[in-house]
Amino acid sequence: MNLNSILLTIIGRIDGERTIYAGLHLLRGKRSGQTLQDVEYYGLKEFFGIVPKLTAERFDEAAKQLSDWGFISTMDDSFVKLTEQGRVEAGKLPPYRFNGWDYRGREMIFFGRLSLAVQTVSNFKAGEKSFMPAQKDRDIQSFVKMLVHNQPISDPLFAKDIGEELRLCITRSEMDERQKIIITHRLSGFGLTGWTWDQLADNLKLNAFDIRLLFIETLHMMLAVIIPSTDLPFLRKITESVKVSTYLTDSSVKTKQLFDRGFSLDEIVTARNLKKSTIEDHFVEMSINDEEFPLTQFVSAEDAEAVAGKVKEIGTRRLRLLKSEFEMLSYFQLRLILGARTGGGN
Amino acid sequence: MAIHKLLKERFGFDQFRVGQEDVIRDVIAGKDTIAILPTGIGKSLCYQLPAYVLEGTVLIVSPLVALMEDQVAIMKRNGEKRVVALNSFLTYSEKNRIMAELGRYKFIFISPEMLVQKNVLAHFRNIHLSLIVVDEAHCISQWGFDFRPDYLRLGEFFGELNRPGILALTATADDKVKADICRYLQLQLPAIHQHSLDRPNISYSIVKIENGMMKTDWIKNRLVATPGPGIIYVASRKRADELSTLLQGEGISVASYHAGKEQEDRSFIQEQFITGEISWICATNAFGMGIHKDDIRQVIHEHVPQAIASYIQEVGRAGRDGELSAATLLFSADDEGRTRFIIQDDIPQEWEIKHYESLLAENYLPAEAAELARISETGKRVIDYYIERMSIEGVIIRMNELIREKEAQLQMMLRLVHSEKCIREEILGFFGEACGMKPKFCCSVCGTADGLLLDAQKPNVSDKRMMDWEERLTGLLG
Repeated sequence: MNLNSILLTIIGRIDGERTIYAGLHLLRGKRSGQTLQDVEYYGLKEFFGIVPKLTAERFDEAAKQLSDWGFISTMDDSFVKLTEQGRVEAGKLPPYRFNGWDYRGREMIFFGRLSLAVQTVSNFKAGEKSFMPAQKDRDIQSFVKMLVHNQPISDPLFAKDIGEELRLCITRSEMDERQKIIITHRLSGFGLTGWTWDQLADNLKLNAFDIRLLFIETLHMMLAVIIPSTDLPFLRKITESVKVSTYLTDSSVKTKQLFDRGFSLDEIVTARNLKKSTIEDHFVEMSINDEEFPLTQFVSAEDAEAVAGKVKEIGTRRLRLLKSEFEMLSYFQLRLILGARTGGGN
Repeated sequence: MAIHKLLKERFGFDQFRVGQEDVIRDVIAGKDTIAILPTGIGKSLCYQLPAYVLEGTVLIVSPLVALMEDQVAIMKRNGEKRVVALNSFLTYSEKNRIMAELGRYKFIFISPEMLVQKNVLAHFRNIHLSLIVVDEAHCISQWGFDFRPDYLRLGEFFGELNRPGILALTATADDKVKADICRYLQLQLPAIHQHSLDRPNISYSIVKIENGMMKTDWIKNRLVATPGPGIIYVASRKRADELSTLLQGEGISVASYHAGKEQEDRSFIQEQFITGEISWICATNAFGMGIHKDDIRQVIHEHVPQAIASYIQEVGRAGRDGELSAATLLFSADDEGRTRFIIQDDIPQEWEIKHYESLLAENYLPAEAAELARISETGKRVIDYYIERMSIEGVIIRMNELIREKEAQLQMMLRLVHSEKCIREEILGFFGEACGMKPKFCCSVCGTADGLLLDAQKPNVSDKRMMDWEERLTGLLG
């Protein structure tokens, strides 16, 4: 797995309906109306925000390679699609185990806590009560302080239990051998310093960027095992509030609160002193994420039905095509229908 | 209690190191004191010991949060629990809790920006201070390489307190900087203790090399033939990565370190360097402060530092254990232009300042405006201080002065590089010191640089071994 293969998969799903940069925004986790809708429409949740700091250069390089190899082609309208050969290649790729949508970078909070907890327990078990913490973040430090407060952290059995939970979690997650090496070597403790990305890359003969991708996937796989578990109590505590509780952006939450209190769209525009298009984006986000969204306050049930039917019939979600079929509906209305009727994992 | 008894009982030392005792006596007598002591001589004892003689709380102003945290951790480890660090990383409630019970602490470390915040003064008025310490006091000088505008406000702040004696600590200060310390901290007839900055166990070499590629070869050969641990200072992040990769290719145990690396990786590298798992670090000037490693044998500069003061600070990280160590500066003709470019790039230019100001006028957030105007973090700090106090034209004049001053400092550095006199003499002369007896291994001009190192070969080869995952987990947690 690497950036190229992930990008190939993404292009396969948005096949010919978006430009290549939709992939960049998706991987960075851009919280714009367009990207958030794409995530839903094209079933791309797993990749959302898995590389928040992806540079345009690195992304362009991956895109160029796919193009050089003849796996993708760009059409006249600058939309990008798979070639026949690309389709064959994409079909050979093993499934990914990312869950970017649920964690959105917060998996690093989980890892930070885990890393500091392991370092603390490992040192205390060896009788060393003072060490330089590998994690400098205040929130992480105070979380771990609370976590081990009143726990027998100098007791080797306590450490052993945590080790046992980790062993179980790693085994159950069915990660591959490289991932097991990466996760255990990014942890540090008494007499064992952590390995830098470069050092891991050197030893595993991969590049440091791909190692990081594997690492993120590893964390998502571990979280998938820990959160529903009943026999990993210590690890479960570490996952506290790591999974996002609302899929709406912070700004959309504010808009939703006003809407729930009975404000109309225009009143919200005035109250929040934001552009109308921004508030409309919030409503589209709500239509995607909120199953109770009152679509019929904005369009008739008949129109919604007709649009949903058309989408199924012509197999596209491209707004411009839909607009030409339904002249009397606004873009905003069309987006709401798409959000409420064809999103939500359908 | 007699201070010698205290030294033994509380700190476990039989005697003071050179320079400490005089400083401590003046501090205990309540005098304002400037102490210029070389790195690694135990500056912190100069306030820690008096703290146990004097009634009340010692307030220590420290510019770097990391340094502060480090110091607090060390003191706690040594059994002093009444110590706390006040800095912007505290949460609101933590800060309030600490502020409410300031008097409980024997030592309070604080960052300058925290000290000048509203309401803070009132809290300090309510407790009994026995001593104020300004660490890294050279940061107050606008002519220094580490200028911190917040330091300039300290004098005003202390003036508002019924204040005890002030102890200003620094490793390097020439006359200009000393004068600035007195003036801005409003010291009253301070006692000035200047210990010799000479480090007899460090030998200095300046090697002129034709071009960059030959520098790389020189470093490769040097690292194969001479022992570490050591630091190679380079001009940029990119070069740090590049050189480290090249050297790894030669089988040398080395890693790069700079502010562009993830925090975790930086921690790992520091720790590996301290434990001896890696022998060499290729670093920008971001590496060094707060690194406690006594056995660094070599410091190599692949570029020309911006000023003699910063050069001495970086070189001073070698040989804290008193063992023979070597400092080498590699120079080629195009270095001058490169360093000048870095200096000028750091100081905001006229049009950048104007752009920044107009963005502020359009209600951009300061951080955002600085980014758009391409002003560095240091640059922003400096401009923000002056913008509050003078017109935009005044700020521009000030920045031009700064550029001229930095250029003068670079010229001094270049003079050192090209000097035909003993390097040790030149350096000490720069700080107004005469050179006494020269050590056996003195410098490349004297022709007596680091002969011993060539015999003492130790392999610098990496033996870091990757483990099986279960083995590693067992190693960590049992």
